[in-house]
Amino acid sequence: MIHQYINNDIPIVLDVNSGSVHVVDQLVYDAIARMDEGKSLDETIDELKSTYGPDEIREAWEECQTLKEQGMLFTEDVYEKAIEHFTDRPTVVKALCLHIAHDCNLACRYCFAEEGEYHGRRALMSFEVGKKALDFLIANSGSRRNLEVDFFGGEPTMNWQVVKDLVAYGRSQEEAHNKKFRFTLTTNGVLLNDEIMEFANKECANVVMSVDGRKEVHDFMRPFRNGKGSYDLIMPKFKKFADSRNQTNYYVRGTFTHYNLDFAKDVLSLADMGFKQISIEPVVAPPEADYAIREEDVPIICEQYDLLAKEMIRREKEGNGFNFFHFMIDLTGGPCVYKRLSGCGSGTEYLAVTPWGDLYPCHQFVGNEKFLLGNVDEGVVRTDIVDTFKHCNVYAKEDCKKCFSRFYCSGGCAANAYNFTGSINGAYEIGCKLQRKRIECALMIKAALAEE
Amino acid sequence: MKHIKTLNTKSLQNTVKKGGCGECQTSCQSACKTSCTVGNQTCEQK
Repeated sequence: MIHQYINNDIPIVLDVNSGSVHVVDQLVYDAIARMDEGKSLDETIDELKSTYGPDEIREAWEECQTLKEQGMLFTEDVYEKAIEHFTDRPTVVKALCLHIAHDCNLACRYCFAEEGEYHGRRALMSFEVGKKALDFLIANSGSRRNLEVDFFGGEPTMNWQVVKDLVAYGRSQEEAHNKKFRFTLTTNGVLLNDEIMEFANKECANVVMSVDGRKEVHDFMRPFRNGKGSYDLIMPKFKKFADSRNQTNYYVRGTFTHYNLDFAKDVLSLADMGFKQISIEPVVAPPEADYAIREEDVPIICEQYDLLAKEMIRREKEGNGFNFFHFMIDLTGGPCVYKRLSGCGSGTEYLAVTPWGDLYPCHQFVGNEKFLLGNVDEGVVRTDIVDTFKHCNVYAKEDCKKCFSRFYCSGGCAANAYNFTGSINGAYEIGCKLQRKRIECALMIKAALAEE
Repeated sequence: MKHIKTLNTKSLQNTVKKGGCGECQTSCQSACKTSCTVGNQTCEQK
Protein backbone atom coordinates (compact mmCIF):
# COMPACT_ATOMS: atom_id res chain seq x y z
CA MET A 1 0.00 0.00 0.00
CA ILE A 2 1.23 3.46 -0.87
CA HIS A 3 -0.04 6.94 -0.16
CA GLN A 4 0.86 9.71 -2.55
CA TYR A 5 0.16 13.40 -2.15
CA ILE A 6 1.49 16.82 -3.03
CA ASN A 7 1.93 19.32 -0.23
CA ASN A 8 3.71 22.67 -0.50
CA ASP A 9 4.44 21.73 -4.14
CA ILE A 10 6.44 18.68 -3.04
CA PRO A 11 5.26 15.32 -4.48
CA ILE A 12 5.65 12.64 -1.83
CA VAL A 13 5.10 8.89 -1.90
CA LEU A 14 4.83 7.01 1.38
CA ASP A 15 5.23 3.26 1.33
CA VAL A 16 2.98 2.42 4.24
CA ASN A 17 4.24 -0.99 5.32
CA SER A 18 7.97 -0.25 5.21
CA GLY A 19 7.55 3.34 6.35
CA SER A 20 9.75 4.53 3.47
CA VAL A 21 9.24 8.12 2.40
CA HIS A 22 10.12 9.06 -1.17
CA VAL A 23 10.29 12.56 -2.56
CA VAL A 24 9.63 12.16 -6.27
CA ASP A 25 9.36 14.24 -9.42
CA GLN A 26 6.06 14.71 -11.23
CA LEU A 27 6.87 11.95 -13.69
CA VAL A 28 7.35 9.30 -11.01
CA TYR A 29 4.33 10.68 -9.19
CA ASP A 30 2.20 10.11 -12.27
CA ALA A 31 3.74 6.74 -13.12
CA ILE A 32 3.51 5.35 -9.61
CA ALA A 33 -0.23 6.02 -9.49
CA ARG A 34 -0.59 3.80 -12.54
CA MET A 35 1.69 1.16 -11.06
CA ASP A 36 -0.56 1.18 -8.01
CA GLU A 37 -3.56 0.56 -10.24
CA GLY A 38 -1.80 -2.51 -11.63
CA LYS A 39 -1.07 -1.02 -15.03
CA SER A 40 1.86 -2.20 -17.13
CA LEU A 41 4.79 -0.12 -18.33
CA ASP A 42 3.35 -0.07 -21.86
CA GLU A 43 -0.03 1.12 -20.62
CA THR A 44 1.67 3.80 -18.55
CA ILE A 45 3.77 4.98 -21.51
CA ASP A 46 0.61 5.14 -23.55
CA GLU A 47 -1.27 7.16 -20.98
CA LEU A 48 1.56 9.59 -20.23
CA LYS A 49 3.03 9.99 -23.72
CA SER A 50 1.58 13.46 -24.27
CA THR A 51 3.57 14.74 -21.26
CA TYR A 52 6.74 12.61 -21.14
CA GLY A 53 8.93 10.74 -23.61
CA PRO A 54 8.93 6.91 -23.49
CA ASP A 55 12.58 6.72 -22.47
CA GLU A 56 12.20 8.89 -19.41
CA ILE A 57 9.04 7.02 -18.38
CA ARG A 58 11.00 3.77 -18.71
CA GLU A 59 13.79 5.22 -16.58
CA ALA A 60 11.36 6.32 -13.84
CA TRP A 61 9.65 2.94 -13.98
CA GLU A 62 12.96 1.19 -13.44
CA GLU A 63 13.75 3.34 -10.41
CA CYS A 64 10.43 2.30 -8.90
CA GLN A 65 11.20 -1.34 -9.67
CA THR A 66 14.55 -1.02 -7.91
CA LEU A 67 12.85 0.33 -4.79
CA LYS A 68 10.34 -2.51 -4.95
CA GLU A 69 13.17 -5.01 -5.02
CA GLN A 70 14.82 -3.26 -2.08
CA GLY A 71 11.63 -3.58 -0.03
CA MET A 72 10.89 0.14 -0.01
CA LEU A 73 7.93 0.38 -2.32
CA PHE A 74 4.70 -1.62 -2.53
CA THR A 75 5.84 -3.76 0.38
CA GLU A 76 3.52 -6.32 1.85
CA ASP A 77 1.93 -6.05 5.28
CA VAL A 78 3.81 -8.78 7.09
CA TYR A 79 2.56 -7.72 10.49
CA GLU A 80 -1.04 -8.81 10.30
CA LYS A 81 -0.01 -12.45 10.26
CA ALA A 82 1.90 -11.95 13.50
CA ILE A 83 -0.88 -10.05 15.22
CA GLU A 84 -2.54 -13.00 16.89
CA HIS A 85 0.63 -14.01 18.63
CA PHE A 86 1.28 -10.40 19.49
CA THR A 87 -2.10 -9.75 21.11
CA ASP A 88 -1.74 -12.81 23.30
CA ARG A 89 1.53 -11.54 24.69
CA PRO A 90 1.88 -11.18 28.44
CA THR A 91 1.85 -7.47 29.24
CA VAL A 92 3.37 -5.62 32.15
CA VAL A 93 2.45 -2.26 33.63
CA LYS A 94 5.14 0.31 32.97
CA ALA A 95 3.42 3.65 33.41
CA LEU A 96 0.97 5.19 35.83
CA CYS A 97 -0.91 8.43 35.68
CA LEU A 98 -1.38 9.42 39.31
CA HIS A 99 -4.36 11.63 39.94
CA ILE A 100 -2.70 13.46 42.77
CA ALA A 101 -5.59 15.90 43.12
CA HIS A 102 -9.13 15.72 41.91
CA ASP A 103 -9.41 19.40 42.43
CA CYS A 104 -8.32 22.41 40.45
CA ASN A 105 -7.73 26.10 40.93
CA LEU A 106 -8.90 26.87 37.40
CA ALA A 107 -12.26 26.27 35.77
CA CYS A 108 -11.34 25.53 32.17
CA ARG A 109 -14.38 25.35 29.94
CA TYR A 110 -13.26 22.26 28.05
CA CYS A 111 -11.99 20.23 31.01
CA PHE A 112 -12.74 16.54 30.50
CA ALA A 113 -12.22 16.18 34.23
CA GLU A 114 -15.01 18.67 35.00
CA GLU A 115 -12.85 21.21 36.80
CA GLY A 116 -10.77 18.43 38.23
CA GLU A 117 -13.54 16.41 39.83
CA TYR A 118 -13.94 13.71 37.18
CA HIS A 119 -17.67 13.31 37.65
CA GLY A 120 -16.98 12.50 41.28
CA ARG A 121 -15.97 14.24 44.45
CA ARG A 122 -13.10 16.57 45.22
CA ALA A 123 -10.25 14.58 46.68
CA LEU A 124 -6.52 14.62 47.22
CA MET A 125 -4.40 11.47 46.97
CA SER A 126 -2.81 10.51 50.27
CA PHE A 127 0.82 9.45 50.50
CA GLU A 128 -0.36 5.97 51.53
CA VAL A 129 -2.42 5.49 48.36
CA GLY A 130 0.38 6.88 46.20
CA LYS A 131 2.92 4.59 47.84
CA LYS A 132 0.70 1.56 47.18
CA ALA A 133 0.41 2.68 43.56
CA LEU A 134 4.20 2.79 43.18
CA ASP A 135 4.48 -0.61 44.88
CA PHE A 136 1.85 -1.95 42.47
CA LEU A 137 3.82 -0.57 39.54
CA ILE A 138 7.09 -2.12 40.70
CA ALA A 139 5.40 -5.47 41.36
CA ASN A 140 3.65 -5.56 37.98
CA SER A 141 6.41 -4.25 35.75
CA GLY A 142 8.21 -7.55 35.18
CA SER A 143 11.69 -6.99 33.80
CA ARG A 144 10.97 -3.46 32.52
CA ARG A 145 13.53 -1.14 34.00
CA ASN A 146 12.15 2.25 33.01
CA LEU A 147 8.95 3.09 34.84
CA GLU A 148 6.97 6.25 34.21
CA VAL A 149 4.85 8.09 36.70
CA ASP A 150 2.96 11.23 35.75
CA PHE A 151 1.71 13.55 38.47
CA PHE A 152 -1.59 14.62 37.04
CA GLY A 153 -4.85 16.05 38.21
CA GLY A 154 -6.87 18.16 38.48
CA GLU A 155 -3.91 20.21 39.49
CA PRO A 156 -1.15 18.18 41.19
CA THR A 157 0.59 21.18 42.75
CA MET A 158 -2.47 21.51 45.02
CA ASN A 159 -1.13 18.40 46.76
CA TRP A 160 2.56 19.16 46.36
CA GLN A 161 3.91 17.62 49.56
CA VAL A 162 2.54 14.23 48.49
CA VAL A 163 4.26 14.60 45.10
CA LYS A 164 7.57 15.26 46.83
CA ASP A 165 7.10 12.39 49.25
CA LEU A 166 6.22 9.98 46.45
CA VAL A 167 9.30 10.96 44.44
CA ALA A 168 11.43 10.31 47.52
CA TYR A 169 9.73 6.96 48.07
CA GLY A 170 10.11 5.97 44.42
CA ARG A 171 13.81 6.84 44.42
CA SER A 172 14.31 4.82 47.61
CA GLN A 173 12.97 1.73 45.84
CA GLU A 174 14.95 2.00 42.60
CA GLU A 175 18.12 0.22 43.56
CA ALA A 176 16.57 -2.71 45.39
CA HIS A 177 14.24 -3.49 42.47
CA ASN A 178 16.57 -2.46 39.62
CA LYS A 179 14.09 0.14 38.36
CA LYS A 180 14.42 3.68 37.15
CA PHE A 181 11.51 6.04 37.69
CA ARG A 182 10.83 8.77 35.20
CA PHE A 183 8.58 11.27 36.84
CA THR A 184 6.63 13.84 34.90
CA LEU A 185 4.49 16.73 36.06
CA THR A 186 1.51 18.31 34.34
CA THR A 187 0.59 21.72 35.73
CA ASN A 188 -1.55 24.76 34.99
CA GLY A 189 1.10 27.00 36.55
CA VAL A 190 -1.11 28.79 39.08
CA LEU A 191 0.84 27.58 42.12
CA LEU A 192 4.15 27.23 40.31
CA ASN A 193 7.02 28.79 42.26
CA ASP A 194 10.80 28.59 42.47
CA GLU A 195 10.74 25.67 44.87
CA ILE A 196 8.49 23.60 42.60
CA MET A 197 10.60 24.46 39.54
CA GLU A 198 13.79 23.52 41.30
CA PHE A 199 12.34 20.23 42.49
CA ALA A 200 10.90 19.40 39.05
CA ASN A 201 14.18 20.26 37.34
CA LYS A 202 15.98 17.84 39.60
CA GLU A 203 13.44 15.01 39.57
CA CYS A 204 11.15 15.24 36.55
CA ALA A 205 12.16 13.91 33.14
CA ASN A 206 9.43 15.96 31.53
CA VAL A 207 7.01 18.68 32.52
CA VAL A 208 3.84 19.69 30.72
CA MET A 209 2.74 23.30 31.19
CA SER A 210 -0.82 23.96 30.18
CA VAL A 211 -1.26 27.12 28.13
CA ASP A 212 -3.45 27.67 25.08
CA GLY A 213 -1.48 30.30 23.15
CA ARG A 214 -2.66 33.88 22.69
CA LYS A 215 -3.75 35.68 25.84
CA GLU A 216 -7.36 36.21 24.72
CA VAL A 217 -7.74 32.58 23.66
CA HIS A 218 -6.17 31.28 26.86
CA ASP A 219 -8.14 33.55 29.16
CA PHE A 220 -11.44 32.70 27.52
CA MET A 221 -11.02 28.95 27.94
CA ARG A 222 -8.86 28.83 31.08
CA PRO A 223 -10.33 31.23 33.65
CA PHE A 224 -10.24 31.08 37.42
CA ARG A 225 -13.48 30.11 39.10
CA ASN A 226 -14.31 33.83 39.42
CA GLY A 227 -14.06 34.21 35.63
CA LYS A 228 -10.77 36.10 35.58
CA GLY A 229 -8.17 34.92 33.07
CA SER A 230 -5.05 33.08 34.21
CA TYR A 231 -2.62 34.04 31.44
CA ASP A 232 -0.87 36.97 33.13
CA LEU A 233 -0.20 34.95 36.25
CA ILE A 234 1.18 31.83 34.63
CA MET A 235 3.06 33.04 31.56
CA PRO A 236 6.08 34.67 33.21
CA LYS A 237 6.46 31.56 35.36
CA PHE A 238 6.23 29.20 32.38
CA LYS A 239 8.87 31.20 30.53
CA LYS A 240 11.19 31.02 33.51
CA PHE A 241 10.47 27.31 33.95
CA ALA A 242 11.18 26.50 30.28
CA ASP A 243 14.42 28.49 30.34
CA SER A 244 15.49 26.83 33.56
CA ARG A 245 15.14 23.49 31.76
CA ASN A 246 17.32 24.80 28.93
CA GLN A 247 14.31 24.81 26.61
CA THR A 248 14.21 21.03 26.54
CA ASN A 249 12.40 18.15 28.27
CA TYR A 250 9.15 20.05 28.61
CA TYR A 251 6.10 21.01 26.58
CA VAL A 252 3.91 24.02 26.65
CA ARG A 253 0.70 22.24 25.85
CA GLY A 254 -2.56 23.78 24.82
CA THR A 255 -5.91 22.88 23.40
CA PHE A 256 -7.65 24.49 20.48
CA THR A 257 -11.41 24.47 20.08
CA HIS A 258 -14.11 25.58 17.66
CA TYR A 259 -13.51 29.10 19.05
CA ASN A 260 -9.92 29.37 17.85
CA LEU A 261 -9.75 27.49 14.60
CA ASP A 262 -6.93 29.87 13.64
CA PHE A 263 -4.80 28.03 16.18
CA ALA A 264 -1.60 28.35 14.10
CA LYS A 265 -1.49 31.86 15.56
CA ASP A 266 -1.53 30.34 19.05
CA VAL A 267 1.35 28.04 18.24
CA LEU A 268 3.32 30.93 16.77
CA SER A 269 2.46 33.17 19.70
CA LEU A 270 4.12 30.62 22.00
CA ALA A 271 7.09 30.30 19.63
CA ASP A 272 7.42 34.11 19.51
CA MET A 273 7.69 34.11 23.29
CA GLY A 274 10.70 31.85 23.02
CA PHE A 275 9.18 28.44 23.75
CA LYS A 276 10.85 25.68 21.76
CA GLN A 277 8.73 22.65 22.69
CA ILE A 278 5.12 23.26 21.78
CA SER A 279 2.03 21.12 21.56
CA ILE A 280 -1.37 22.53 20.65
CA GLU A 281 -4.00 19.86 20.20
CA PRO A 282 -7.62 19.68 19.09
CA VAL A 283 -10.14 19.56 21.92
CA VAL A 284 -11.82 16.26 22.61
CA ALA A 285 -15.40 17.07 23.48
CA PRO A 286 -18.89 15.65 23.19
CA PRO A 287 -20.35 16.73 19.84
CA GLU A 288 -23.05 18.81 21.56
CA ALA A 289 -20.50 21.05 23.30
CA ASP A 290 -20.42 24.56 21.78
CA TYR A 291 -16.63 24.48 21.61
CA ALA A 292 -16.37 21.00 20.03
CA ILE A 293 -14.60 20.57 16.70
CA ARG A 294 -17.20 19.95 13.99
CA GLU A 295 -16.98 18.24 10.65
CA GLU A 296 -17.16 21.60 8.83
CA ASP A 297 -14.15 22.84 10.83
CA VAL A 298 -11.89 20.15 9.38
CA PRO A 299 -10.89 21.98 6.13
CA ILE A 300 -10.11 25.14 8.11
CA ILE A 301 -7.96 23.20 10.58
CA CYS A 302 -6.14 21.43 7.74
CA GLU A 303 -5.37 24.80 6.18
CA GLN A 304 -3.95 25.94 9.52
CA TYR A 305 -1.69 22.89 9.68
CA ASP A 306 -0.42 23.77 6.18
CA LEU A 307 0.23 27.36 7.20
CA LEU A 308 2.01 26.27 10.34
CA ALA A 309 4.14 23.72 8.50
CA LYS A 310 5.34 26.32 5.99
CA GLU A 311 6.12 28.83 8.72
CA MET A 312 8.02 26.20 10.69
CA ILE A 313 10.17 25.45 7.65
CA ARG A 314 10.86 29.15 7.19
CA ARG A 315 11.87 29.59 10.82
CA GLU A 316 13.96 26.44 10.83
CA LYS A 317 15.92 27.67 7.82
CA GLU A 318 16.43 30.99 9.58
CA GLY A 319 17.87 29.16 12.56
CA ASN A 320 14.88 29.98 14.71
CA GLY A 321 13.02 26.68 14.60
CA PHE A 322 10.87 25.03 17.24
CA ASN A 323 9.28 21.63 17.82
CA PHE A 324 5.58 21.13 17.31
CA PHE A 325 4.64 17.85 18.98
CA HIS A 326 2.16 16.72 16.35
CA PHE A 327 4.60 17.32 13.50
CA MET A 328 7.44 15.44 15.15
CA ILE A 329 8.35 12.31 13.28
CA ASP A 330 11.47 10.22 13.49
CA LEU A 331 12.34 8.72 10.11
CA THR A 332 15.67 7.27 11.14
CA GLY A 333 15.05 5.68 14.51
CA GLY A 334 11.36 5.79 15.25
CA PRO A 335 9.49 3.22 17.26
CA CYS A 336 9.52 -0.45 16.30
CA VAL A 337 6.49 -2.04 14.75
CA TYR A 338 5.45 -3.57 18.08
CA LYS A 339 5.15 -0.15 19.62
CA ARG A 340 3.23 1.03 16.59
CA LEU A 341 0.84 -1.87 16.90
CA SER A 342 0.30 -1.59 20.61
CA GLY A 343 -0.30 2.17 20.59
CA CYS A 344 -0.35 4.21 23.75
CA GLY A 345 -0.68 1.15 25.97
CA SER A 346 -3.80 2.34 27.77
CA GLY A 347 -5.48 -0.38 29.77
CA THR A 348 -2.45 -2.66 29.58
CA GLU A 349 0.91 -0.96 30.06
CA TYR A 350 -0.48 2.37 31.15
CA LEU A 351 -3.07 2.83 33.90
CA ALA A 352 -4.53 5.77 35.78
CA VAL A 353 -4.90 5.83 39.57
CA THR A 354 -7.58 7.94 41.29
CA PRO A 355 -6.95 9.76 44.59
CA TRP A 356 -8.56 6.87 46.46
CA GLY A 357 -6.58 4.20 44.60
CA ASP A 358 -8.95 2.95 41.91
CA LEU A 359 -7.35 1.79 38.65
CA TYR A 360 -8.65 2.81 35.21
CA PRO A 361 -7.33 2.16 31.68
CA CYS A 362 -6.20 5.79 31.41
CA HIS A 363 -6.96 9.26 32.72
CA GLN A 364 -9.65 9.75 30.07
CA PHE A 365 -11.69 6.82 31.44
CA VAL A 366 -11.52 7.89 35.07
CA GLY A 367 -15.00 8.33 36.46
CA ASN A 368 -16.62 5.88 34.04
CA GLU A 369 -17.41 2.95 36.34
CA LYS A 370 -17.72 0.56 33.42
CA PHE A 371 -13.96 0.78 33.05
CA LEU A 372 -13.01 0.38 36.70
CA LEU A 373 -10.25 -2.25 36.62
CA GLY A 374 -9.47 -2.70 40.30
CA ASN A 375 -7.52 -0.80 42.91
CA VAL A 376 -4.05 -0.46 44.37
CA ASP A 377 -4.84 -2.92 47.19
CA GLU A 378 -6.18 -5.79 45.11
CA GLY A 379 -4.51 -4.95 41.80
CA VAL A 380 -6.28 -5.44 38.48
CA VAL A 381 -9.43 -7.47 39.07
CA ARG A 382 -11.19 -6.98 35.75
CA THR A 383 -8.73 -8.80 33.51
CA ASP A 384 -11.51 -9.08 30.93
CA ILE A 385 -11.34 -5.31 30.37
CA VAL A 386 -7.56 -5.46 30.12
CA ASP A 387 -7.96 -8.17 27.46
CA THR A 388 -10.27 -5.92 25.46
CA PHE A 389 -7.60 -3.22 25.45
CA LYS A 390 -4.91 -5.71 24.61
CA HIS A 391 -6.77 -6.77 21.51
CA CYS A 392 -7.42 -3.21 20.47
CA ASN A 393 -4.99 -2.49 17.64
CA VAL A 394 -4.98 -1.31 14.05
CA TYR A 395 -6.02 -4.72 12.76
CA ALA A 396 -9.02 -4.82 15.05
CA LYS A 397 -10.31 -1.60 13.49
CA GLU A 398 -11.81 -1.87 10.04
CA ASP A 399 -11.19 1.80 9.23
CA CYS A 400 -7.50 1.49 10.05
CA LYS A 401 -6.85 -1.39 7.66
CA LYS A 402 -7.18 0.96 4.69
CA CYS A 403 -5.54 3.98 6.30
CA PHE A 404 -2.01 5.09 5.43
CA SER A 405 -1.52 6.65 8.83
CA ARG A 406 -2.08 3.48 10.87
CA PHE A 407 1.54 2.99 11.87
CA TYR A 408 1.81 6.58 13.09
CA CYS A 409 -1.28 6.86 15.27
CA SER A 410 -1.61 3.13 16.03
CA GLY A 411 -5.35 3.27 15.71
CA GLY A 412 -5.79 6.47 17.68
CA CYS A 413 -6.96 7.20 21.18
CA ALA A 414 -9.16 4.49 22.70
CA ALA A 415 -11.03 7.03 24.82
CA ASN A 416 -11.86 9.17 21.81
CA ALA A 417 -13.05 6.09 19.94
CA TYR A 418 -15.22 5.06 22.86
CA ASN A 419 -16.70 8.50 23.39
CA PHE A 420 -17.64 8.93 19.75
CA THR A 421 -18.56 5.41 18.67
CA GLY A 422 -19.34 3.54 21.88
CA SER A 423 -16.49 1.11 21.27
CA ILE A 424 -12.75 1.34 21.87
CA ASN A 425 -12.39 -0.39 18.49
CA GLY A 426 -14.26 2.36 16.69
CA ALA A 427 -12.69 5.28 14.86
CA TYR A 428 -13.21 8.93 15.75
CA GLU A 429 -13.47 10.24 12.20
CA ILE A 430 -12.67 13.90 12.75
CA GLY A 431 -9.62 12.88 14.77
CA CYS A 432 -8.54 10.53 11.97
CA LYS A 433 -8.82 13.22 9.30
CA LEU A 434 -6.71 15.62 11.37
CA GLN A 435 -4.19 12.91 12.15
CA ARG A 436 -3.72 12.10 8.47
CA LYS A 437 -3.22 15.77 7.69
CA ARG A 438 -0.61 16.09 10.43
CA ILE A 439 1.34 13.10 9.11
CA GLU A 440 1.30 14.60 5.61
CA CYS A 441 2.60 17.91 6.95
CA ALA A 442 5.23 16.23 9.12
CA LEU A 443 6.62 14.27 6.17
CA MET A 444 6.51 17.34 3.96
CA ILE A 445 8.56 19.30 6.49
CA LYS A 446 11.19 16.55 6.45
CA ALA A 447 11.19 16.62 2.65
CA ALA A 448 11.47 20.41 2.47
CA LEU A 449 14.34 20.51 4.95
CA ALA A 450 16.12 17.65 3.18
CA GLU A 451 16.18 19.76 0.01
CA GLU A 452 18.75 22.06 1.55
CA MET B 1 18.43 7.88 -8.56
CA LYS B 2 17.42 10.67 -10.86
CA HIS B 3 13.73 10.87 -10.16
CA ILE B 4 13.40 9.71 -6.56
CA LYS B 5 14.98 10.82 -3.31
CA THR B 6 14.32 8.52 -0.38
CA LEU B 7 14.32 10.23 3.01
CA ASN B 8 14.82 7.15 5.14
CA THR B 9 16.57 3.89 4.57
CA LYS B 10 15.47 2.00 7.65
CA SER B 11 12.50 -0.23 6.93
CA LEU B 12 9.85 -0.77 9.53
CA GLN B 13 9.95 -4.43 8.59
CA ASN B 14 13.45 -4.75 10.00
CA THR B 15 12.16 -3.84 13.43
CA VAL B 16 10.09 -7.03 13.53
CA LYS B 17 13.22 -8.97 14.42
CA LYS B 18 14.75 -6.92 17.19
CA GLY B 19 11.98 -4.62 18.37
CA GLY B 20 9.52 -5.03 21.19
CA CYS B 21 11.72 -4.52 24.25
CA GLY B 22 9.03 -2.25 25.68
CA GLU B 23 11.43 0.13 27.40
CA CYS B 24 10.21 3.13 25.41
CA GLN B 25 8.10 5.92 26.79
CA THR B 26 4.37 5.46 27.04
CA SER B 27 3.15 7.91 24.45
CA CYS B 28 0.50 9.64 26.51
CA GLN B 29 3.10 10.55 29.10
CA SER B 30 4.98 12.79 26.71
CA ALA B 31 2.60 15.61 25.97
CA CYS B 32 -0.65 14.69 24.44
CA LYS B 33 -3.03 13.28 27.05
CA THR B 34 -5.89 13.61 24.57
CA SER B 35 -4.59 12.09 21.37
CA CYS B 36 -2.61 9.04 20.47
CA THR B 37 0.61 9.92 18.72
CA VAL B 38 3.05 7.09 18.51
CA GLY B 39 4.98 7.66 15.28
CA ASN B 40 7.04 10.42 16.86
CA GLN B 41 8.24 8.42 19.85
CA THR B 42 11.87 7.57 20.22
CA CYS B 43 13.27 4.05 20.36
CA GLU B 44 15.22 3.35 23.56
CA GLN B 45 17.59 1.04 21.71
CA LYS B 46 18.88 3.81 19.49
